[in-house]
Amino acid sequence: MTLLEVEDLSVRYAVDDDSAVHAVDHVSFDVEAGETYGLVGESGCGKTTLAKSLIHLLDSNGYVESGHVWYDGTLPAWEDDHGEAKQAVIDDPDKPVRGDGKTDLAALSNSQIRDVRWRDIALIPQSAMNALNPVYKVGDQITEAILRHEPETPKQEADDRARDLLERVGIEPERADDYAHQFSGGMKQRAVIAMAMACNPDMLIADEPTTALDVIIQDRILEELEAIQEEFGVSILVISHDISVMAEICDRMAVMYGGKIMESGRTRDIFEETSNPYTLGLKNSFPTITEADQELVSIPGTPPTLRDPEEGCRFRARCPFAIEECHSSHPPMYDVEEAIETGRLVEAADQRAHRSACYRVDELDTIRTQATKEETWTEQTIESR
Amino acid sequence: MTRISGRYLAKRIVVSYLTLLVIMSLLFVLLRSMPGSFITSMINPQMTREQIERIRETWGLNEPLWRQYVQFMINYQTGDFGRSPTYSTAVSELMLRRLPRTLILFGSTFIVGYIVGPLVGMYLGWWRGSNKDKSIFSSSLLMYSMPSFWIAWLFIWLFNYHLGWLPSSYMFTQFPEFEWTAFTVMRDVLYHLALPLLSVSFIGWVGAMLIMRPSMNNVTEEGYVFLARAKGLSERTVMLKHAARNALIPVATGAIVGLAFIIDGAVVIENVFSWPGMGQLIVNAVLSRDFPVAQAAFFVIAALIVVMRLFTDVVYTYLDPRIKFGEGE
Repeated sequence: MTLLEVEDLSVRYAVDDDSAVHAVDHVSFDVEAGETYGLVGESGCGKTTLAKSLIHLLDSNGYVESGHVWYDGTLPAWEDDHGEAKQAVIDDPDKPVRGDGKTDLAALSNSQIRDVRWRDIALIPQSAMNALNPVYKVGDQITEAILRHEPETPKQEADDRARDLLERVGIEPERADDYAHQFSGGMKQRAVIAMAMACNPDMLIADEPTTALDVIIQDRILEELEAIQEEFGVSILVISHDISVMAEICDRMAVMYGGKIMESGRTRDIFEETSNPYTLGLKNSFPTITEADQELVSIPGTPPTLRDPEEGCRFRARCPFAIEECHSSHPPMYDVEEAIETGRLVEAADQRAHRSACYRVDELDTIRTQATKEETWTEQTIESR
Repeated sequence: MTRISGRYLAKRIVVSYLTLLVIMSLLFVLLRSMPGSFITSMINPQMTREQIERIRETWGLNEPLWRQYVQFMINYQTGDFGRSPTYSTAVSELMLRRLPRTLILFGSTFIVGYIVGPLVGMYLGWWRGSNKDKSIFSSSLLMYSMPSFWIAWLFIWLFNYHLGWLPSSYMFTQFPEFEWTAFTVMRDVLYHLALPLLSVSFIGWVGAMLIMRPSMNNVTEEGYVFLARAKGLSERTVMLKHAARNALIPVATGAIVGLAFIIDGAVVIENVFSWPGMGQLIVNAVLSRDFPVAQAAFFVIAALIVVMRLFTDVVYTYLDPRIKFGEGE
C-alpha cells in the first residue's frame, strides 16, 4: 500500500531580486507503507528541501510552487473512528482529501500541518546533535510531543511512555531525568529517534541520520532504525549523501541532482544495474573496503546553481556522455527495463519501476564501460566532447 | 535542586568579602585625595585656631593617615559608618532611611525594564528584519540616546506643568490633608513614584532589549527550535518555551551591568525629582564635603552590586543546567 505519493512537486526559494532558486523541480516518487526509501545526492541537490517541504518546515523564503503530496492519513478533525477520512470530508471540494482518503499535505494550512507533524510524520533533523533543548530534561522533551498530540494522556502515563521509548533505543530509562549535555553524541541521536517514535507515526524522515557520528556509532544507529522499523512498521525516508548508508538500509531509493531525480528504483537495481551517468559518477567517487588500491574518481566541476536554471539536462555540464539533445530540455524519467529490452525510450508509467532521467538510457552498455575508466571523468574529456 | 556546591558558595562569599575590603580602601584613598577637607563646611572665618583644632581632633584628622585608615576599616566592618557632620546623625541611620527609598524607585524601574525589555527583544528577535522590527528597533535606539535627565524634564513639563496629572517632586505629599494609614501612604508613594518611574523606564528597558534581540535571533537558528516546530508545537510555544527560555541566559548577565547603570542614573534622576534617596544624598554629600556620608553611600552601592553578582551565579544554575559551579576545580 502506498503511504506517500509525491506528485510533480516543485519547491522554490525566493531570492531578493525576484528570481527563485528551483531547489526541487517536478519531482515524483512513492513511498510504500513499511519500506525504507532513500534520497541520495550531493550537498545542495535539494534532498533536504524536498523532505522538509513535505511537512512545511522550509525556511521562511521557501515555498511549494506546484505539485501534491498525497499522504495516506488525515487530520484528527477529519478522521472517523477507524482513523480513516470521513466521507463528508472526501466529498467536500474545499478540503484537499482525495477519493481514496489520501490528504494533500501541500495544500494544508500552517495550523493544519502542525497536527500532521510528529503524529503522522516525524522527523529526525540533520543536526540531531543539537536538536535537544539544553535547558529541559530529555524525558520532558519526549513527553511534550506526546502531550501535544494526545492531550488527554495523563502526565504520568506520558512520562512512562517516554522512559519506555528511551529504553527501546538502548538508553536506561532513568536517563530521562538528565539533560542533553549529559548525553554522548550517539545517545543524543538515539534519544531523538526515541522522541520521533513518541506518537507512533507512520512515517519517519531521517535527515542525514549518521553524519557527524563515527562509523561504529553510525552502524548502531542504522541498526536502531531498522529495529524500529521492524517493531513499529514505520516507513522511513532516509536522506543522505552517503550511498553506502543507502545500500545498507534502503529498499528503494532515488538519486537527486540539481533539484531533479536522476534515477530511482530498487536499491539493488540502482547499484547493480546503474543506469544514469550521474549515479555512475557518484559510485566511482565512493571508496569500498573490498578494493584496497581502488583509485577514487570524482566528478569534475561543481553542482549547478539552481537560481533560475537554464534549459536542458541539469547534469550536462559535468556529464562526459552529454550529446546535442541534452541541451534542449531535462530528460523525463525513462523506464530502464523497457530501454534495455526493446531499445526504446519510454517514459515510465509506474513510479516504482527502475527509472532514469537520461537520453542515452538505450546505450547503457557503452556508458557503463566508459564510466569505469578514469580518463572519462577528466575535465578535458568533458570539455572536448 | 541546586547545582551550586556549598564549598563553591563559601569560596564566592569570601571573595566577595575581599572585594568589599578593596572597595573600602579605594574609597578611603579616593575621597582623601579630593581637594579640600570635610571639615571645610564646619569652619567659618570667625573661628579661632583652637576651635578649628578642636574640630580636627574630634573628627580624628590629627591622627597619622595609616591610623585613620585602620580605624576606618575596623569601623566599616563593624557597621559603624561614623557621624555625618552636615546631617548631625549617625551615617548608618541615614543609610537605613535613604536606601529603601532608592530601592523603591530603582527596584521598580529595574523590574519594569527587565520585564518589558526582554519581552520586546523576544518579539523583535523572533521577527527580525520585519518592518515592525525595523521601526520599533530604530525608535528604541532613538529613545536610548536621549539623556535621562532631559526625558525627565520633558515628562515633568508634559505631565506636571502642562497636564497637571502627576507630582514632579518628593516621595510624599508635603502637607497632607489626609490621614496617614498604610493604605494612604502606599497610594501617596505610588502617586509620587509614577513620574520618575515613567521617565526612567522610558529608556531603561532598551538595554535589556538590546541583549535579548540578537540572543533571540541566534537561538532561532538552533536545532532544538527546528525540532520543536517539527513536533507540531504552536509558534507561540516554540518561541516562548524553546527559544526565549534559552535566549534569556545572556540577559541575566546584562542585568548586573544594567543594575550598575541604573544606580548611576539615580544620582541624576533623584535630583531632578527631588527624590530623597541615595542619589540625592551622594550629590549633597559631595558638594558639602560630607566625607563620611559620601563614603558610606558609595560603599552601600558597591556592596549591593557585589551581592547581586553572587545572586546571579545562583540564578544562572537555574537558568542553564549546563552551568555547574564548584565542580572540577
